[in-house]
Amino acid sequence: MSPLAHRLHAAPQDDLALALQGCARGDRACLRRLYDRLAPRMIGVALRMLRRRDLAEEVVHDTFLRIWEKASTFDPARGAPETWVFAILRHRTLNVLRGEARTDLVDDFEPMGLAADAPDAEAAVTALSQASALRRCLERLEPHRRQAIVLAYASGLTHGELAGRMGVPLGTVKSWVRRSLVSLRECMA
Amino acid sequence: MTDERDADERDALAAEYVIGLLDAPDIARCERLLAEEPDFAVRVEGWRQRLAEIDQTAPLMAPPPQLWSRIEAAAGMARTQAPRRPRQPGRIARLWNHLPVWRGIGLVASAAALLMMAGTAYVVRQSARAPVLVAVLLSDANQPAAIVNAFRDGRTQFVPLQAIAAPEGKALQVWTLWDRARGPVSVGLLDALRQIDLSVAGLPAPTPDQLFEVTLEPAGGSPTGRPTGPILMKGNASRTDAGT
Repeated sequence: MSPLAHRLHAAPQDDLALALQGCARGDRACLRRLYDRLAPRMIGVALRMLRRRDLAEEVVHDTFLRIWEKASTFDPARGAPETWVFAILRHRTLNVLRGEARTDLVDDFEPMGLAADAPDAEAAVTALSQASALRRCLERLEPHRRQAIVLAYASGLTHGELAGRMGVPLGTVKSWVRRSLVSLRECMA
Repeated sequence: MTDERDADERDALAAEYVIGLLDAPDIARCERLLAEEPDFAVRVEGWRQRLAEIDQTAPLMAPPPQLWSRIEAAAGMARTQAPRRPRQPGRIARLWNHLPVWRGIGLVASAAALLMMAGTAYVVRQSARAPVLVAVLLSDANQPAAIVNAFRDGRTQFVPLQAIAAPEGKALQVWTLWDRARGPVSVGLLDALRQIDLSVAGLPAPTPDQLFEVTLEPAGGSPTGRPTGPILMKGNASRTDAGT
């Protein structure tokens, strides 16, 4: 595959790591490279949680400023560049989701809400690659437990919201999540 | 047994931290553990890697043009920029206006253009219709990736030098810029690089230094009418012997 074709079909982590190193040196072209590569997906991830385009873009804005300031703390020995960027994004997104005008963002709290979210959660699972260990292991979980994990991660729902939407007690959701996480880790080991 | 339960407990805490299920006191506890306990940091990174694929299922959303300008301004990176024009150009326009970049690329492209012209001379002779302008489009690795030939009759041909296809859901869009006030104009949309005649009807005849580039866009082309995706290749037009 030619270098150009490779660039089209893959997002080499090496390239992202180099761009982060460039940001640490103050090279703004490197920040731009990260932006071109990652911003569209980042807006998508934030929007799935916040459900408001303006807030999602604001979070992505803040995330890039944070990347620019903190790039020198990125340590390739401790993690992949993309997970580092998305961890910052998710952290800020959750702060907005939990902190600001919570009730404006998630207006439906009744169990019926599950009807709308369950297909989203299942769609996210089937969008995972067929070859993905995560998909194989999620599919081994009982559907409600699978949905609880995926909705919490992708949509940012809390234990309380999951309980409300699934019509089960809070303690039940908490233990579903815990046990599902143990199964997931064992399955993916 | 207790150790194992503790380990499970730690791991579940790391997972719930990554997922975003913890309340403020537990988040603060995790952040302390992250800084102090390498084992916990490894567990957190493990869960980030395991679950990252779910982020990859989120839809791609084109950022609005002003988002980058705002980031650039807020990061204090705008101070070396030229003074603002009365009508504020978008981020792409500013990139296109960035002369040193283009001068550098222009030099490389001119050298490459000479080589390419030598290589394509026989085609020119065969057709007995030499292009008046040629642009060699270079990839970001400075490799010639395509040629644009502009003929006297107005036909402008795009000839790829590498066979590549756009990924699923994406398209390759060809742009040209001859007037910074007007900005880049789309002259072609492809699912894979192949030879095409560019849609230049109604546009002024190409001039030396006119810029051609190919960007990666959503299938169906850029939603904004301006380049939004990464630039895959670009180059400036040079006049040929036939054009002088």
